[in-house]
Amino acid sequence: MTVQAHELTKDYKFGFHDVDISVFRTEKGLSPEVVAAISDHKNEPEWMLKFRLKAYDHYMKRPMPAWGADLSGIDFDDIYYYVKPAGEQSRSWDDVPESIKNTFDRLGIPEAERKFLAGVSAQYDSEVVYHNIRDDLEKLGVIFCDCDTGLREHPDIFRKYFGTVIPPNDNKFAALNSAVWSGGSFVYVPAGVKVDIPLQAYFRINSDNMGQFERTLIIAEEGSSVHYIEGCTAPNYSSDSLHSAVVELIAHKGAKIRYTTIQNWSDNVYNLVTKRAIAHENATVEWVDGNLGSKVTMKYPAIYLMGEGAHGEVLSAAFAGPGQHQDAGAKCIHVASNTTSNIVSRSISKGTGRTSYRGHVKVYPKAQNVKINVRCDALLLDEESQSDTYPYMDVESPDVTIGHEASVSKVGEDQIFYLTSRGIDENEATALIVNGFFEPFVKELPMEYAVELNRLLALSMEGSVG
Amino acid sequence: MISGATGAATDAPAFEEAAQGRIASSTGWLRDRRQAAWDAFTAMPMPSSQRDEDWRRTDIGKLKLPAFHDGDPVDDTLIAAIRERRDRATPRAALVVDAAPHTRIEQSDELAAAGIVVSSLEDAVRLHPALVERALASVGVGESTFVALWNAMWTGGAFIYVPRSVDAAVPVWVAHSAAGDHSATFPATVVLLEDNSSLTLVDDYLSAVGSDELFSDAVTIASVGRDARLDHHVLQQWGEATWHVALHRSVLAQNARLRMFGATLGSRLQKAYWEVLLDGPGAQAEIAGVAFGDTTQHLDHQSLQAHRAPQTTSRLKLKVAVRGRARSVYSGLIDVDRVAQQTDAYVQNRNLILSNGATADSVPRLEIRANDVRCGHGATAGHIDDDHRFYLMARGVTADEADRLIVRGFLDDALVGCPDRGVADLIGTLIDHELQGNEVAGVALVGA
Repeated sequence: MTVQAHELTKDYKFGFHDVDISVFRTEKGLSPEVVAAISDHKNEPEWMLKFRLKAYDHYMKRPMPAWGADLSGIDFDDIYYYVKPAGEQSRSWDDVPESIKNTFDRLGIPEAERKFLAGVSAQYDSEVVYHNIRDDLEKLGVIFCDCDTGLREHPDIFRKYFGTVIPPNDNKFAALNSAVWSGGSFVYVPAGVKVDIPLQAYFRINSDNMGQFERTLIIAEEGSSVHYIEGCTAPNYSSDSLHSAVVELIAHKGAKIRYTTIQNWSDNVYNLVTKRAIAHENATVEWVDGNLGSKVTMKYPAIYLMGEGAHGEVLSAAFAGPGQHQDAGAKCIHVASNTTSNIVSRSISKGTGRTSYRGHVKVYPKAQNVKINVRCDALLLDEESQSDTYPYMDVESPDVTIGHEASVSKVGEDQIFYLTSRGIDENEATALIVNGFFEPFVKELPMEYAVELNRLLALSMEGSVG
Repeated sequence: MISGATGAATDAPAFEEAAQGRIASSTGWLRDRRQAAWDAFTAMPMPSSQRDEDWRRTDIGKLKLPAFHDGDPVDDTLIAAIRERRDRATPRAALVVDAAPHTRIEQSDELAAAGIVVSSLEDAVRLHPALVERALASVGVGESTFVALWNAMWTGGAFIYVPRSVDAAVPVWVAHSAAGDHSATFPATVVLLEDNSSLTLVDDYLSAVGSDELFSDAVTIASVGRDARLDHHVLQQWGEATWHVALHRSVLAQNARLRMFGATLGSRLQKAYWEVLLDGPGAQAEIAGVAFGDTTQHLDHQSLQAHRAPQTTSRLKLKVAVRGRARSVYSGLIDVDRVAQQTDAYVQNRNLILSNGATADSVPRLEIRANDVRCGHGATAGHIDDDHRFYLMARGVTADEADRLIVRGFLDDALVGCPDRGVADLIGTLIDHELQGNEVAGVALVGA
């Protein structure tokens, strides 16, 4: 990895943008008319319009959160809440507009990869423009499409689950998303089906002042399993962008869902995301959540362990460079007996960067034999960096074993000395130690993501010594 | 928002007259301080579990301040119980009883001969105004609703001053007490340790067993000079109907060392702040505590380890056992300033939950702005391990006795951090008493 560090330039690699080719966008700012226009443009059923307008009311009533990161830099009136790109939904790579293809090519996405990717759902602005589901998945009855298509073509399943894990009045930004959502993925895995290849989606923001409000809904029926991967890169724009997603996962009896994210928004994006899963009897939900980009991220993937024997895992890694605040964490809420959860968080702050771990574990009174383990470690790379830990533990049942450990430290001088004494220069030594620190996270990623993450880390670490 | 907007003053007309009386009878800086505090208090709403992060898990909505009045005088049986407690733990200690109608002092000749001042805070304001003003400076008049109220309302109180390079030969035992239904008390301990001096101090909060509803709004302030050493014990054994809000704050100068030990056994509801401000390079604080909650007790501890100078060290260990429907809330913050390089700080909170219905919340937080540090925390909650119980029962110990041994062993792990052996033994005895099924909220009065 250290060799690659030298190949990469200091410029933000994905900080380019194409000529804006959007064909439909709402006016800046938000009003019931804008919400209605979005719904109308998408030809949505009446219930969805009502859902959106109700969510809009919740959004207007809710105050801004008084805790967490500083959100005062967001100008909500200076945002386009819906932008539809040119071209219709494509099934074949050849039909994707040339300029959009160029963007993907520069990101190094499909062509070569697509053959072994299960399906690539690339969100370009607010609509999915490219979509490819391998035939054999379709034969198994797996649905993998964008959420708008899900609403249109699978209305019964969609309506049964949509907004049930995260209701529109859950919090201010979930309400905002519920009012103006567009795109995102809809995944349905029938009972007993094991999807053995990860489903991947790439999200991008490409319009100046463009808020992206994608909505993802994943349902794994009894005994099924699925791994969904979401990776983000965004072009560098001068004015701040807002990204506010809602992700809902439902793992039925014995099902398994793993959701992997590597978030690398450019450093002007406010990333305020609500992610929550419900794990029924003997189900397993795993969030693998990496936060490298954005100006401010507030994201706390949650698992509600509702059925006996359910298991939750959250693996979180965060890197905050100069000017960044990663306020990330995890929540595990144990409602049923014999449930277990494990949270591991690793974070690194550099320059004026600030990482915060904010976690909540809760055990309800009737939950017997619950085991929870939380481990968070933070590295501070220089005198300007900051790290916070805010773990909340609420235990209302006697039959629990719960442990939480945290540490904050700097890169050990003895470790640096050990490496430099073997001829490795100090920059590389630091990069190696940082890579090692993230190892519990990186080893859970598919190969190509691990490589990409290590590259991004090496890039971020340049010039961190001296 | 609506109830808060009315302010505490309209909620508490009862204190209005008492506060105005105290302001009128004070002079100089104290009068200004009391007036400013009263103004701050009347402008502030009562803490709300909806609005204030500090109070999110501790609801004092049922505390109706207007129902309370200045404390009734405590009687001789209570004073005798206090003296007996002191005798059991540290018989040689000087005794200060901070209770209505006025502070009583049983001075030790040894301390007086060494130039150590042990007096009521009221007397100290007259005799040593500059010293008191200096010590009080580390608590703001309007820091919070209850600190503001305390600043306006305290009477009597205890003041201890240890001159430079003097080691107090015997401990000082300060008992804070009250009696009578709906009595309010504002316990005060102000301690000033000059450079290179040392002191062992006990603050003992207690009232008689029984259902008298008391309100205790307490502050202890310790200013510990360069190279000085303070051993501070805080025992809380209020009766079962007492509301207890307390701020215990120590400020440490260069190379100063604090050992603090707290034992929380009594009260219906406690909200206690344990704060240490490490202001001088090389300062060290070791804080430990035990808490045992029973019936419907609500015991809230909030700690602060503020590292504001380089090479400072702090440790905190709080072990809590809860049974019945008791609730423990622990929240703590290690706050490391940018200049506090080479900080070494650790917090641990271990909870043992003994029955269905008992709960323990734990929120150990870190906020770190220096990079060359070693900071961490550990928090656990669990129940009695069946293997441990089985091990003991296989050796002929009954199940109940096995559980008592396990709980005692769990708490002893923190109790060994109690600086004074006599005080540790007293706390151990009180815990055993409670483990055998007796309540330990309040002290039983002989002949009462």
